[in-house]
Amino acid sequence: MIRIISAALRATVQDRGRFGQLRAGVPPSGPADPFAFAAANALVGNDPDAAAIEIVGSPFTFRCDDRRVIAVTGRDVALRLRDRIAGWTAVFARAGEEVRIVAGERSRFGYLAVSGGITTDTVLGSRATYLPARLGRALQAGDALPIGAMRVDPTRAGRTLVAPEYQDEQVRAITGPHAERFTEEALAVFLSSTFQVDASSDRMATRLGGPDVVARQGEILTCGVLAGAVQVPSGGAPIVLLADHQATGGYPVIATIITADLGRVAQRLPGEPLRFVRVARDRAVAALRDERRAFAAIA
Amino acid sequence: MSISVREFGESALLVEIGDRIDESIVSRCRAIADAWEAAGHGAAIPAYASVVLRFDPLRLDPREAEREAFGLSQRAIAIATVPARTIEIPTRYDGPDLEATARSSGLSVDELVAAHAGREYRVFFLGFLPGFAYCGMLDPRIVAPRLERPRERVLAGAVAVADGQTAVYPFDSPGGWRLIGHTELVMFDPARQEPALLRAGDRIRFVRS
Repeated sequence: MIRIISAALRATVQDRGRFGQLRAGVPPSGPADPFAFAAANALVGNDPDAAAIEIVGSPFTFRCDDRRVIAVTGRDVALRLRDRIAGWTAVFARAGEEVRIVAGERSRFGYLAVSGGITTDTVLGSRATYLPARLGRALQAGDALPIGAMRVDPTRAGRTLVAPEYQDEQVRAITGPHAERFTEEALAVFLSSTFQVDASSDRMATRLGGPDVVARQGEILTCGVLAGAVQVPSGGAPIVLLADHQATGGYPVIATIITADLGRVAQRLPGEPLRFVRVARDRAVAALRDERRAFAAIA
Repeated sequence: MSISVREFGESALLVEIGDRIDESIVSRCRAIADAWEAAGHGAAIPAYASVVLRFDPLRLDPREAEREAFGLSQRAIAIATVPARTIEIPTRYDGPDLEATARSSGLSVDELVAAHAGREYRVFFLGFLPGFAYCGMLDPRIVAPRLERPRERVLAGAVAVADGQTAVYPFDSPGGWRLIGHTELVMFDPARQEPALLRAGDRIRFVRS
C-alpha cells in the first residue's frame, strides 16, 4: 500500500489514458505531461502501462508500507526523504519512511511513480482519472492505494533521466489537418507570434492569448480530435488540447503539437510565453524514438 | 466518393470522405473506424464525415499507415455490424428555450413539440461529453442555431436542439445548444456494462411524458 498523508491541491491516479472509450465520447484523460509520466515509470522499472499519481500543488506527502524504488518527475519538482533529492531520479525509500514532494515555484504537474505501479481497480478498462464524469476521484489524505509487486531491486536507485527544457518557450508542431482553412497570412501569424498562456488553462487545454489567428471558415463539421491539436475557435485565440480533451470538436485544427513536446505545453504557467515552430513528421517520429531509447537505456 | 488522408500529428491521421451531414457518409465513417480498430493499429474516432485513426508511429510507419488508411477507406462499406435498436426517451418539454425556439421556427409550442417528438432520429456518433450522442435530422421547420453565448451550466438530462440535430446532455456542463425539454434517463453510467445509453447507429424517439 501507498498511504497518502497529504494530497496537495489535486492528486489523481493516471495511467497512459483510456483510449478504448473515445467512441462513447469519453475523453482519454491520462497524464497532462505524457513524457514526464513515462519517465517516472521508466525510472522505477515499470511498464509504460503502469499507473502513477499526477500531482498539482503542494504539499504531497506519503509513505509506502514496504521498501520501494520511487521517482518524481515533472517541472520543478524534487523529493525530500532523509535529504532533498532532485526530481527525475530513482530513489530508494525505506518501509514506512515519510516522503514529501517538493514542488517549486514553477511546478505545475508532477508525477510520482512507485515500483510495481498503482493497482487500483480499473474503470472502463483504465486507471486514468477523469473527474468531470467521476471516473475515479481526487485523492485525499488518509487514502491507501494498492501497489503491485516490486519489480526491480534497490540497486536501481540513483538512475536519472534528463528533464526536458521546460523553460524553453518554443514547441514543435506539424501543420494541419485543417491548415488549408487558414490563409497564408493567418498561418504566418500563428508560426511567428509569441502567445501567452491564459490563466484558465487546465487539464483539458492550454488556452492562449495574443494575436488573433483568423480562419477562413469559423467552424468545421464536428470531427475527432486528440491531445496536441491546436484548435482555433472563431474568436481567433488558439487552444492546445490536453489529456482531458473532448473526443470530438467543431473548430479547425491549424496544427498539432508533436507528442514529444506536448508535456512542455501542459507545463507552461499562466502568463508564460509559447511559440510554435513547424516541423516535418519525420522529425516528430525521430523525437519519439529518442525518447523511447532514453527509457530503454535505463531499463 | 473522394477520400483525403491528412497528417494529424505524427501519431494519427484524419480521413475525410465528405463535407456534409448524411446518414450514409456517417455509417461509412463508422465502418472505416471499425476496420482500423479490427486491424489492431489503435483507436479510431468516427464523426459526421471524417475519422481520426490513431497509431504508434514506432510500430507502424506513418506512410504505411496512410496507404492502409486509404485502401481501407476505399473498401469500407457501411454494414450494420450490430442490429440497430430503437430507444425511447421519455421527455418533458419544459426547456428554457422552448418558446423562443418555437418562435424562431414560426411554430406554436405544441407544433414544435409535435415536430420534435414526431420522428425517429439516428444516432450519428458520440462525442463532446461521455455519452453525448449527436442525433438527427430534425424536422427542417425547426430553426435552432447554436447560442451565440453558450450557457455556463446546462443540467444533466437536458434535451436540446441545434443546427438540424438533437441530443441529451449526459452531465451538468457548459453548452451552446437550445434546451427544449428534459429526461430522467441516465445517459452515461460507468457502472453499467455499456456505460453510454446510446450507441452510434441506434434509432431514437422522444416520447412526451
